[in-house]
Amino acid sequence: MIIFYLYREKLKSIVLHFRFPRLTFLRGLAFRYSLFFLIAILMILFFPLVVGYGTSAALLFIKAQKEATILTDQTVAQFENVIQPIELVPKILVQAMENPAISYAEILRIARDFVSHDTVVFGTCLAFEPYFHDEENYWYAPYTCERTGNLHSRILGGPSYDYFKMDWYRLPKLLNRPVWTEPYFDAGGGDTLMCTFSTPVYRKLDGKRIFTGVLTMDVSLTGFARIVKKVNIFKTGYGILVSGQGKIIASPKATPGDQTIVDLAKAGGGKSTQRAIREMMAGNSGFTSMDGLDAKKFPSFLSYAPVAKTGWSFGIIFPEEELYEDMYSFLKIMSWMFGISIFILLVTTVLLTRRMTRPIVRLVEATRKIGQGNFNAPLPVRKSRDEVAQLTNAFGVMQDELRNYIQNLEETTTAKEKIESELKVAHNIQMGMLPRGFSTPENWDLFATLDPAKAVGGDLYDFFYLDADHLCIAIGDVAGKGVPASLFMMVTRTLLRAKTVSGTPINLVMESINRELCHDNPSQMFVTFFAGIVDLKTGEMEFCNAGHNYPYILGTAEKIHQLKVRNGLPLGIFDTAEYTSGRFKFIPGEIIVLTTDGITEALNQANDFFGEAKLAASLTSLANKNSKALTELLIGELKRFSSGAEQADDITILALQYKDAANRPPESGQTVRLTLLNQVTELEKIVGKIEELSGDWKIPSKAVMEITLVLEELFTNVVFYAFDDQETHYITVEINLLDDHTLQLRLEDDGKPFNLLEQEMGDVFEQTIDERQVGGLGIHFVKEMMKNVEYQRSGNNNVVILTKNF
Amino acid sequence: MELTEQITDQYVIIGITGRLDTTNYMALEKKLMDLIESHHDKILVDCLNMDYISSSGLRILLMALKKITLVKGRFVLCGLQENIHEIFEISGFTSIFEIHPSREDALKLI
Repeated sequence: MIIFYLYREKLKSIVLHFRFPRLTFLRGLAFRYSLFFLIAILMILFFPLVVGYGTSAALLFIKAQKEATILTDQTVAQFENVIQPIELVPKILVQAMENPAISYAEILRIARDFVSHDTVVFGTCLAFEPYFHDEENYWYAPYTCERTGNLHSRILGGPSYDYFKMDWYRLPKLLNRPVWTEPYFDAGGGDTLMCTFSTPVYRKLDGKRIFTGVLTMDVSLTGFARIVKKVNIFKTGYGILVSGQGKIIASPKATPGDQTIVDLAKAGGGKSTQRAIREMMAGNSGFTSMDGLDAKKFPSFLSYAPVAKTGWSFGIIFPEEELYEDMYSFLKIMSWMFGISIFILLVTTVLLTRRMTRPIVRLVEATRKIGQGNFNAPLPVRKSRDEVAQLTNAFGVMQDELRNYIQNLEETTTAKEKIESELKVAHNIQMGMLPRGFSTPENWDLFATLDPAKAVGGDLYDFFYLDADHLCIAIGDVAGKGVPASLFMMVTRTLLRAKTVSGTPINLVMESINRELCHDNPSQMFVTFFAGIVDLKTGEMEFCNAGHNYPYILGTAEKIHQLKVRNGLPLGIFDTAEYTSGRFKFIPGEIIVLTTDGITEALNQANDFFGEAKLAASLTSLANKNSKALTELLIGELKRFSSGAEQADDITILALQYKDAANRPPESGQTVRLTLLNQVTELEKIVGKIEELSGDWKIPSKAVMEITLVLEELFTNVVFYAFDDQETHYITVEINLLDDHTLQLRLEDDGKPFNLLEQEMGDVFEQTIDERQVGGLGIHFVKEMMKNVEYQRSGNNNVVILTKNF
Repeated sequence: MELTEQITDQYVIIGITGRLDTTNYMALEKKLMDLIESHHDKILVDCLNMDYISSSGLRILLMALKKITLVKGRFVLCGLQENIHEIFEISGFTSIFEIHPSREDALKLI
């Protein structure tokens, strides 16, 4: 029962676990508090319950023991009631028989009387010693028994019934005292379990007390069985009467037979049973526990006592369970009640705590909404003033503050992002405006770069072709940084491009730009500027330095010197300022390097300047490099110098080299070279030159037309399709007279790789002006009209070589 | 390059003088397109004085031929110089254009 009770608790916890689908509940306050409360209550109630159980169990035990002992004693007394007369009568008779005056017949008569009256004794026998009764009979034992209400007598004794050997004769003779024999089944008649009480008989003869025989009383044990049957304790408690040797005399549970109680105990019971039985058999009285007597083992109690005189033992056995039965049923009721009340308690507690935690749950939900960005989530309204309400209020305040803060932050961030994105756009515009097509005639090499300090800068470089033979280079530095400087710079650049036309001296261009800049200059910005116009044929440069730092000339002989000429003030200061111009002639091999002070004023982490001296030294070491390499290596040195330190100013470099004339193959009388810009209008130069040569070299008109046609087709292809940028590019056309009848044409451009030999003509008739097919028809002419067509890709250039016979 | 124009109610004669190349084909293009759009669907191009033609010019002629053919008109060439004719041969245009040696023959068939 206790186990069941305990199991109830476990079951309950299991039920709780699985029946509630929401795991959050199990982690929640409601459940936790309820559980805690429950456990506390359980412990409080469990303790007295245990104590109560223990106490009542003990009390019941004592009561049972008393009851059993009393019953045992009572039953034993009943046995003794029955036994007493059985012992008394022979005692008296035997006493009488000691007197020789009494005749045995008389004794027999009394004995027979006794048998017929007594319910239990059913037979008596007076057995004599050999030849004692008379000289003729060795055996002489008159025996009377009562059967079916009548007495039957006969004489026992004979070879087949040698009673001298039997226990009922032998033992009293041996022990000189009355003896109760072991129970046995009456073989002579009746099949009743019986035993015999035999008393030794003596006679005083010749002054001596001699053993003359035995007087027996046959006792039917059924009477005892009846007594035993009546024994009842608790529900199934029963009695068992065993003989001195353990034979079962009477027991409702076992049929009296040859099986002894010890055997039974060994067969059906455990160690405790065997021990208890041993105690009983030892003739002790007591109360002990044992497991069952029969094969079913369940805890029982044994109350035992000896039956005096007979050597028997009587025991009462009853199951332990029955002793505690009342208590168990009481416990059962109690635990059900307990369980129900606990359940009610649990439910109540859960509900109560949930009620308590509900506002907190609502607060959690509202807070979650806030966390997701909804700052207007409504907080649960609390009417009370308890801690949860205070928390709610505090949350409300926090929510408002958050809302405002986030709003401010969003506005600020949006504004900032707007500015940054616009700066990015401005940066892209400014960078996009810088020319990047460094294509020059082949005896010149140009490169430039600009690295702004901020998103937009105040430095500028520019270059553009006034015509095929004149290149304008320029570099400038606006006083200032950032957006205002860059705007001013863009204006300056625009003016430069607008004002610089072929024929106008550079100093007048500068004056014009200067006037414009001064015209609308509220913030009084100014720009240091250097511009030069280079005659690509002669290598002469006309320049004007408006307050800018001196360019470096890297030469072959003197290695390095500066072009220390200043032609006027920086632009944008005085609108009436006048400017002069300077002249410089490139020696083949010389490089001019234009810079801004971003280089010399670059700082390293120790706050040292890069300086003029370092710049000069670096340039000297780079004198033998081409323009691009020189520029990039100089930038690299600068970055290494200032590594870690923030870039203070824009860094701008422009390098132009007049290549050593020795690299160019000489123009012989038989070779004509045309250097053309990538514009269709340049075509007329080709036409004109071919016309010219046709006379000198005596080329027939048909060949002239073919050559012109071929050159036109190839040239226009390059102009239209070879370049993806909007920059100026140079295309060289070389015409060689190999011999009187062979002409070689060589076309070189620095455009996209294009091998005319790989082109399929396609369907000529499908091509229209609008289709951007790469002049298939023209290439067809080339292949048809020229004797030999070759293509090479040489570095970054396409080279087409044609041979024509005429 | 110079263009001459002679319009009758039956046909139009365009004369090309000089070089027709990638620098000046636009004038011819415009002329031809205008004529076709104003429903002059019988056009003769007299190339007697045309010294030179390159692929740009050829394309214009081809375009005009296509457009006139769509409106079921006639586009004929005449007076091609020898060198020019060779160009037409090399490009395969001789098989698609109606070419006559003299103006008179061409006019008869227009």
